[in-house]
This record gives sequence, structure tokens and C-alpha cells, in this order.
Amino acid sequence: MSALLELEGVHAGYGPTSVLHGVSLEVPEGGAVSLLGANGAGKTTTLRAITGGVHWTGNIQFDGRPLHRMSTEQIVRRGIAHVPEGRGICTELTVDENLKLGAHRRHNDADLRKDYDRVFAYFPVLKERRRLSASTLSGGEQQMLALARALLMKPRLMLLDEPSLGLAPIVVRAIFEIIRTINRENKVAVLLVEQNARIALELSSHAYVLEVGRVAVEGESAELQGNESVRRSYLGY
Amino acid sequence: MSSVLRHRIRSVPPRYALVGIVVLLLAGLPTVISSYLTSEWAQALILAIAIMGLNILIGYSGQLSLGHGAFMALGAYVSAIMARHYHVDYLVTIPIAGILTGGVGFLFGVPALRLSALYLALATFALAVVAPSLIKRPKDLTGGVQGLLLVQPDPPQPAKDVFAAITGTAMTTDQWIYYITLFCALILFWLAWNLLRLRPGRAMRAIRDGEVAAAASGINVAGYKTLAFGVSAFYAGIAGSLLGLASGFISPDTFPVSLSIQLLVGGVIGGLATIPGPLVGAIFAYFLPIESDQWAPGQSWIPSQVATVIHNAGPAVSYGALLILIMIFAPNGIVGLAYSGYALLRRRLRGAGDRETGHVPPDPQTV
Amino acid sequence: MQELFQLIVSGLATGGVFASLALALVLIYNAMGIVNFAQGEMAMFATFIAFTLISRGISYWIAVPVTLVIAFGGGIAIQRLVIRPVERAPVLTLVIITLGLATLINGLAGVLFGYIPRAFDSPFPPSSYGVFGVYVGYQDLGVIAMSGVVLLAVYLLLQRTTVGLTMRAASHHPEASRLLGVSVSWMLALGWGLAAAVGAVSGIMVAPVLLLEPDMMQTTIIYAFAAAVLGGIESPLGAVVGGLVVGVTVNLVGVYVPFVGGDLQLAVALAIIVAVLVIRPNGLFGRASSRRV
Repeated sequence: MSALLELEGVHAGYGPTSVLHGVSLEVPEGGAVSLLGANGAGKTTTLRAITGGVHWTGNIQFDGRPLHRMSTEQIVRRGIAHVPEGRGICTELTVDENLKLGAHRRHNDADLRKDYDRVFAYFPVLKERRRLSASTLSGGEQQMLALARALLMKPRLMLLDEPSLGLAPIVVRAIFEIIRTINRENKVAVLLVEQNARIALELSSHAYVLEVGRVAVEGESAELQGNESVRRSYLGY
Repeated sequence: MSSVLRHRIRSVPPRYALVGIVVLLLAGLPTVISSYLTSEWAQALILAIAIMGLNILIGYSGQLSLGHGAFMALGAYVSAIMARHYHVDYLVTIPIAGILTGGVGFLFGVPALRLSALYLALATFALAVVAPSLIKRPKDLTGGVQGLLLVQPDPPQPAKDVFAAITGTAMTTDQWIYYITLFCALILFWLAWNLLRLRPGRAMRAIRDGEVAAAASGINVAGYKTLAFGVSAFYAGIAGSLLGLASGFISPDTFPVSLSIQLLVGGVIGGLATIPGPLVGAIFAYFLPIESDQWAPGQSWIPSQVATVIHNAGPAVSYGALLILIMIFAPNGIVGLAYSGYALLRRRLRGAGDRETGHVPPDPQTV
Repeated sequence: MQELFQLIVSGLATGGVFASLALALVLIYNAMGIVNFAQGEMAMFATFIAFTLISRGISYWIAVPVTLVIAFGGGIAIQRLVIRPVERAPVLTLVIITLGLATLINGLAGVLFGYIPRAFDSPFPPSSYGVFGVYVGYQDLGVIAMSGVVLLAVYLLLQRTTVGLTMRAASHHPEASRLLGVSVSWMLALGWGLAAAVGAVSGIMVAPVLLLEPDMMQTTIIYAFAAAVLGGIESPLGAVVGGLVVGVTVNLVGVYVPFVGGDLQLAVALAIIVAVLVIRPNGLFGRASSRRV
């Protein structure tokens, strides 16, 4: 059975600069996979390639269908939610409007209402701050909004770019708990890009480590966690 | 011929030779065309001067102005008022008008610094629209709606003699005025070429391409930007003054908004940030509206239905459509296109790099 | 006192016209960061379409909505055909394209409809409504009412509907919107369509006062620029408030300031623009934006 998301030999770059030199990875249906590596290794570029934000060659397939030459909107509508670096919160809009944007392509039915309830159960602060401008939220709250919004898209796969960035450890833990719940209970596959390898490996079952645009190491998270030399050389702890 | 001389001739860059040819052509023009057509070409040259000024502002220092027609009006009226009310020789008023207008432009440049490109466009556009009404007000000075009539100078005897010797006909006033205009244009183009080649030009280009970076490199951004405004106004002022000379008459209606737009259009079509651009653009901007009606039906390679449509659509439509098409397909204008084509050709003919230095020729300037 | 009141009311009426055109400018500015110099010409062309429909015997109240729909379609068409190819181009290129568009549309109007000014009848009676000795023209009231309706409709569309939400998101946050499945490109097209329709309203309202001819909107657009700049070029609310303020101010200055006659009223608009840009460049409701490096 083929994976939900497959990348094969993907090269990508910005203009004359090539960043990815043949990256291959896969995310199984309902799985949780980490993409690790140092700054500049190409993790964000990989996610951007998947949602069409950067020019790429090679093979990227989602749910068996290749994503060549599709626009970002078209790719995303197939069931991929991408929370970019910096969260991508629409600060000109209210919290409620941000959520509505996530749900804008869905019919207003019982299913959507259930998802709203779920999202507010995960993130009660969003319900409190509904009418306020999204710019008034703290970093952690904005991350929650980004996740909630992504959830409302009812995706089959979530691409998360450095969700822990700039957040206090206790907030990071809370958010990762929720990501795990989303993954396990809502059966949403997760491809997680993180610099904080430790917490990423606790969440994911499988991991790839990028170095200068290539996959340097891959394997089960447990294996990588256990392998001290891998941890020292690639993961920073 | 000695080999040194031969080498010198061969090593003259094709560009200089081209300039020489163009100058000769322009100088000889009145000898082969009618006096009326000569006066039209004088008007085109006047536009070229104003566009050159605008080019310095937009193409080189990156600031936008949709109101340079107003500066032309200022120059024209300064000259006209000095000539009529104070009996100053018109030719003397030309540089004075230029300097005065340049000063005003420089002052303009100061508040302009605080405006983003768009707001500057808006403010200058509004200025262009309002200028005619502002001119009408001080009636005693400017002649109000009726404008000012100007006396056009007769050609001086030496000029008449030279002209008669070459063509055998008497030189008309229009032809003399054409030569005055050509003379000014040559000086001003030469001036611009030097300005832009040397440090001010480089500084301005650096500002255009990235103000923050330019400031970080120690360039006096504010100084150069206001300088650019002043210089461009100087050019427009001289052009306006020459316009009065060439037309023999100015009024508020000589300087409508469409003039400012025509300057911008000419600049862009010719190619901003190039030296020949303003001349090419001026020729286009001046002759296209006049010729477009007649030109299309006369061309045998255009199917008659298309030609009729073009003819019936009128100059404004062809003008607007051409402008849009050029911005979509050739945003660097005609000269920009020529430079790209030339660079492409050179690369193909010479291989990847210059044989002597190994450098690849730089890409033409972009807006 | 009566005269003052009457001047204010008629100022509000012209203000309504300015507000609508200014709103169109703001909508496009929000969508793409440029001022559409062709907005006035587009409005004029739409007004000619309305005129043509009415002179064929169609009632005003049917011709106008039909014209708005046509204008909406026209705006979308222009965005798709002319603007989209150069979406990423620098500001200068886009400004020149809108100028080219303005020239083209003006010329087209001249060719199709001629340059002779036409009378455009207002549906409102020319009489006045008297209250407490003050007479207010029905025309002015009609214009105020129509502008009010249009502006309210745009507000509701943008703030209360999903389409409006996606349009706003696409304007301010194009990258994030794409990642949420919003067709940013089509939202821009819709923005142009909406702006064209709103601008058309301003043309239709002003035609009875200025005669209908290709150059009709050339002064109105300057007032609209002043209104948009005063209100803050990014703020729809600012466009409305700015429009009303400009309308009333120009009226009052024209009458009460002796040296400004009818012909220098336009200079008042220029003065407003310059004053705003010097004192408070973001206008009344705009936000200071930081320089993007």
C-alpha cells in the first residue's frame, strides 16, 4: 500500500540557488513523521515544495496523485493543511475570521459544528478571544489558532513548520500534546519540521534528518533516540 | 593610413559611431524636409529634452512624477513673462527659465522624500491637473485664459548664409528654431550622459535599486533624490521655454494633464534608464497620435478590416493599447529591447564571454 | 445659517459621489498596492452604458443594476486580461498600465459615444424638500441615499459574507490565504469587479450634474484621490469619511473663501492631498506601515 505522501528525488531551489538535492521521504496514512536538521538544511523548502510554494523537480505524490504543476490552492484543497514558518496568521482579521477561513470551503453542517466544538475544546482561549483581532494573541495562542484553523480544513495531512519556535517549554508541551491527540484520534497524518529534535522524536514514529539538502539519516524515532552518535552529530543533544 | 589610426578607428565602440550618425542625421534633417515638418521635429526634440529630465528622475533615481507638464509650464511662463513684460532677449531667458524651474523642482524634492512612490505619483498627478487653473489666476502676469503671444526670432544672417549655401533656399524661422532646439538637446543629452556615467548617476542607480542598502553604503539618499528632482525640473523648464519659442504662443491649455502623461509614456516606451530612450520615446509619443490614423490603412501587410478598425479607433485607443502591450511584453521599452537583443546577439557571436577580458557583458538596465 | 445647511447637504451629496469612487480606489489599492488611475474612466464608460440602456427605453431603476453587473464583469475582464500578466511587476509598470488603460477607455468612449456632452436625466425630481425654512434638493437627497445604499452593501459584502472574508484575506495576506485554499488570483479579479461596479455608481450619480462626455470624470477622480488619501488609502471606512469631508469642504471653501472661485475648487483638492501627505501621510484611518527591507 503506498503512502499518503511520497517524495522521490526532489530537487528544489530559489532561482539559481539549489537547496534540495534529491530528497526522498514518505508519510503513511495517519502517520507522524519528523523532518529534522540544522538551519538551512532545507526542511522548510521541503514543505514549501509539497504545497507548491517553490519550484521543484522530481516526484511528489499525495494520495497517489502527482502534484506537478498544481497551484498551491489546488494542492491544499486535496487535503493538505500547511502551517508555515511564522504561523501565517491573518493579523488583519479576527480570531473568528481566521477560523472561518479555515472552514470556508466546507458546508455549514453538523460535521463542521462538531469540529468547531472539538477545536474549542482543545483551545479554550480561542473561544474566549473570538471577536478580538488575531494580532492581539500571544505567540503560543497564535500557534493554537494556526492549528485550529488547519484542523477546520479537515485535512488528511498536516505540514507543521517549527511549531515550537519562540514558545516557552511549557506551552510547547501543551501544543505537542494536542498535536499528538489530533494525530491519534482524528487520524490526521503529520509531517513535522522541527529544530527541537527531542520533542519531535517523542511525537513521531519515523524521522528523516536533512543535511545540506539531502537525507542524511532516516529511521524509526525510537532508534534515532537511542543512537547516541546520531543524536550527537545530527540532532544536537 | 597608419596602423595606429586604423586601430583607433576600429576600436571606437559602435555606440559612439551610432551617436555620431544620429547627430548628423538630425542636423541635416531640415535640409531635406519641409519647413512645417521641421517644426514638428522641433516639438519632438523638445519632448525629448523633457523626457530626458523625467528619465533622470524615474529611471535613474526611482521616483515617480506624473506632473512634469507643470514644470514645463513654469519654464514656459518664466521665459514668456521675461520676454514680454521685461523685454529680455528670448534666447537669454531659456537658461534662466531652466535654472528657476530647477530650483523649484529642487524645493519640491524635499517634501517628496517623505512620500512613497505611489503617493508621489498621486500628488504630482493632482498638480498636473490643477496647474492650468493655477496659471489662469494671475491674469495680468500670465494673460489668463488667453495666454501670451511670443515673437519668434528671425534667423541671424550668418546662419542664413550657411543654410543658403547648403540648400540654396532661405532659412525659415521654424528651421532656425529647430537648430536652437537641436543645439540645446545635444548639450542637455551630453550633460545627462556625463551626470549618469559618473558618481551622481551611480549613486542614483544605487538608490533606485534599494534605498535602504544605498543608505547603508553611505550614500546621501536625500541629497541625491532632491538633486534628481531639481535636475529633472531644470530639463522640463528648458523644454517648456523652448516650447514657447517653437509655438510662438502659450496658454494654460498648452499644458494639460495629458502632456505629463505623454512625457511618462514617451519615457517608458523609449526605455527608462537609458540615454537614447528619451529620444526614441519622444519621437513615438509625438508622432504616433498624429500618424496612427493615417499609417495603418497605408500598410499593405495589414488586412484591411484590421486597418479600418485601427483607423476608426482613433489615436487614443491605439496609444493606450500600445502602452499596455509594451508594458506587458517589453517593460524596458524599445531601447531596452534593443539592448537585450544586442546583448543576445553578441553573446551568440562571441561565445560566452568577452574574448579579451572574459567578462560576460552586463544585462541592460532594468526599471 | 440656512445657506450653510444647504451647502452642507449638497456637499454631502457630492461627497457621496467622491466616497464611492474613493472606495473603488481603496478596494484596488488593498488588493494590489497600486492606485488605479483608470478608475474614473471605467466609471465614465459604465455611465455611458447606462445612458445607452436608458435611451433605449429601459427604466432607470432597471438600467442601473444591469449596468452595475456589466461593470462588474468588465472589471473582472480587465483584471484577467491586462493586470494578471503583470501581477508581480514593479509599481511603476502597473501605474503605467493603468494610465494606458485610462487613455484607451477614454478614447474608446470617444469613438463609440462621441464627444458631444449629453444630458443625463436624474430619476429624482428637481424640486426641493422644505423643512423649517430650509430647502434641500431631492437630487441631493437621492444621491445621498443611493451612495448610502451602495456603500452599505459593500460593507455588508466584505464584512458579513464568506466571499468578502476571502477577498479581504487575499488582499492582506495572499500567501497565507493560498495555504488555506483561497484562489487569491480570482479574489483579486473579484476585487476589480467590485471596484468597477462601485465606481460606476459614482459616475451614474454625477452624470446629471456634470454633462455626460468622455472627460467627465477627470476632475472627480482628483477629488476621489483626495478623499482616499485623506481617509487613509487602505481604509474603506476612510474612503467614505474622506469623501464626505472633501465634498463638504470643497463646497464651503468655494463659497466662503473669496479667492477660491469655481475653477480653483480643484486646487483645494490638491491642497488637501498635499496637506495630508505632509502632516499625516497615513490619513485619518490608515495604519503606519513599516518599511519592508
